[in-house]
Amino acid sequence: MASRKITIEPVTRIEGHGRVTIYVNDQGEVEESFFHVDEFRGLEKFCEGRLYFEMPQITQRICGICPVSHHLAAAKACDAVARVEIPRPAKLLRELMHMGQLVQSHGMHFFHLAAPDLLLGFDADPATRNVVGIIKANPELALKAVALRRYGQRIIERLGGKRVHPNFAVVGGVNAPLSPKDRDEILADHAEALATTRTAVDIAKGWIEANQETVSAFASFPSCYMGLVDHEGGLHMYDGEIRVKGADGKLLAQFRPEYYLAHVAEHVESWSFLKFPYLRKAGWPQGTYRVGPLGRLNVVDKIGTPLAQEEFLRFRQINGGKPVEGSLYYHYARLIETVYALERITQLLDDRDILSTDVCAPAPAAKIPGQGVGVIEAPRGTLFHDYSTDEDGRLTRVNLIVATGNNNWAMNTASGLVARAFVNGNRLTEGMLNRVEAAIRCYDPCLSCATHALGKMPLEITLVGPDGTVLDRISR
Amino acid sequence: MPRTLVIGFGNIDRADDGAAFAVINTLRRRLGRPPLGEGETGWEETGGDLDTVFLHQLTPETAEYLVAYRRIVFVDAHVLENAPEIHTFPVTPDFEPAAFTHHLTPAMMLGLLKALYGAEPEGRVVSIRGYDFDFRRGLSPRTGELAAKAAELILGLVENPVQG
Repeated sequence: MASRKITIEPVTRIEGHGRVTIYVNDQGEVEESFFHVDEFRGLEKFCEGRLYFEMPQITQRICGICPVSHHLAAAKACDAVARVEIPRPAKLLRELMHMGQLVQSHGMHFFHLAAPDLLLGFDADPATRNVVGIIKANPELALKAVALRRYGQRIIERLGGKRVHPNFAVVGGVNAPLSPKDRDEILADHAEALATTRTAVDIAKGWIEANQETVSAFASFPSCYMGLVDHEGGLHMYDGEIRVKGADGKLLAQFRPEYYLAHVAEHVESWSFLKFPYLRKAGWPQGTYRVGPLGRLNVVDKIGTPLAQEEFLRFRQINGGKPVEGSLYYHYARLIETVYALERITQLLDDRDILSTDVCAPAPAAKIPGQGVGVIEAPRGTLFHDYSTDEDGRLTRVNLIVATGNNNWAMNTASGLVARAFVNGNRLTEGMLNRVEAAIRCYDPCLSCATHALGKMPLEITLVGPDGTVLDRISR
Repeated sequence: MPRTLVIGFGNIDRADDGAAFAVINTLRRRLGRPPLGEGETGWEETGGDLDTVFLHQLTPETAEYLVAYRRIVFVDAHVLENAPEIHTFPVTPDFEPAAFTHHLTPAMMLGLLKALYGAEPEGRVVSIRGYDFDFRRGLSPRTGELAAKAAELILGLVENPVQG
């Protein structure tokens, strides 16, 4: 059957460009859908030849939104290359910075990207279906949302000296302790940040309750799930073992991060530059997994902070204790994690070692040929940094598997399901296309944060007939 | 002169995407200020009638700093084939639905300022054509030339807005 093509190109950047191509037949029914993303391999080549200890500074420039994740994953990989065990206070401080990152990134996603769809509706006028629409609808909440992001950013700033691209984690630890003044100031603003987040949790739950049918059906599909767990099987964002569960919730694998290559393989499709990671033992495509908030909450046994644990127990009941499959539940899971991050901040600040000045191990040996893996749970999911060096510490190989890559198959599947459900090639509406985008937005992909040049490429959907003729086009 | 902020943004590790960094530092030299180092934003030195900062990208909490200014000049690279190599135009508050990205455009930044604080500073974009966005430091020769000219243009703009 002849098919026509719809392409959605929503990203305004040059590198990391993402688009959705939807093929419809003569009846306007969706036949196939593909989510394409460019890859960050350029950065890996860029890093080769550099000294390994530069990586915590270099790699964080992959993104201006989640630089801390790359900063810390790189530092962990460098620790492994240098074979140094970092002091406990340094681990606490790195995790504290990570929690600040989680709060700002998750908070930003909910209020800036998710809430307009949830509060104003998928079919709302695009002119108002944005954060300004949220501000008009609830200005007090909007100011609190900005303050929430600022709270996370200021934790990063206090530790790293600046909000973006901090200079903090180094091989063997961190380069400065936390001052009592900074600890007290972080604590002073904590209650408001937590209150705002709990309000957001209530908003998300209220929306889910009111739209149960949509939430259950929208981009809902079985998959495996991946995330770090601590030694008790609890949620941990900075350290632990990687756990993978199957679609039925049964444990498929649990392994130390340095053995990831024995467990994770990458599938290649001709239509995408980005590879598709999967669990090697389960095979392709049965071993494809989801990472990020939904992935993490589907693999952990518990959350080690009281309010987040309370919400986690509710989350677990959604599918009778089995993994939660609906992509829109990412938003709820993301907010549960934000509660966790805020509670974890107080746990860390109350720790007896948090003000210790023992924050860095002695300098490693000058000659360190080796290999090291650093894995962290970035806001968007599991992030792998894997470095090999020569004996002078120059990088000979760099392998990064970023969270967006881990979710590549899931985003492709989610957008395809929504396209089939909502897109009709004979009657295109902005709301249909927004739903396709919304399916991808659940995963909070980081596609294109590397460059920011002005060069507007509007969201555009083009219908192309079997003979290549453009039949219809909408853009914004 | 209305209190003015010149705010550059981009990625200095991506060749011409860092054009604004060069512009901001040229401006700072012309104003007798030390150039920003790698990773420095310049926020710590603000408070004058003409401030200059450089960021990786525009994010919402930046609004709380911008609210103090009556005029904001946004400096960025561009890839517009049909625009002048130094492309300058007024920008007004506007907010589009965000597809996937956490990053804000200058118009969205002004939209946020207006919606959150009722502030409506005069906005202007000065963008410089980029030709090379590879993973490397430093500007292509042509973009380097344009960055120097753009700095002079901005000095003229802030001293005499009518010329813009």
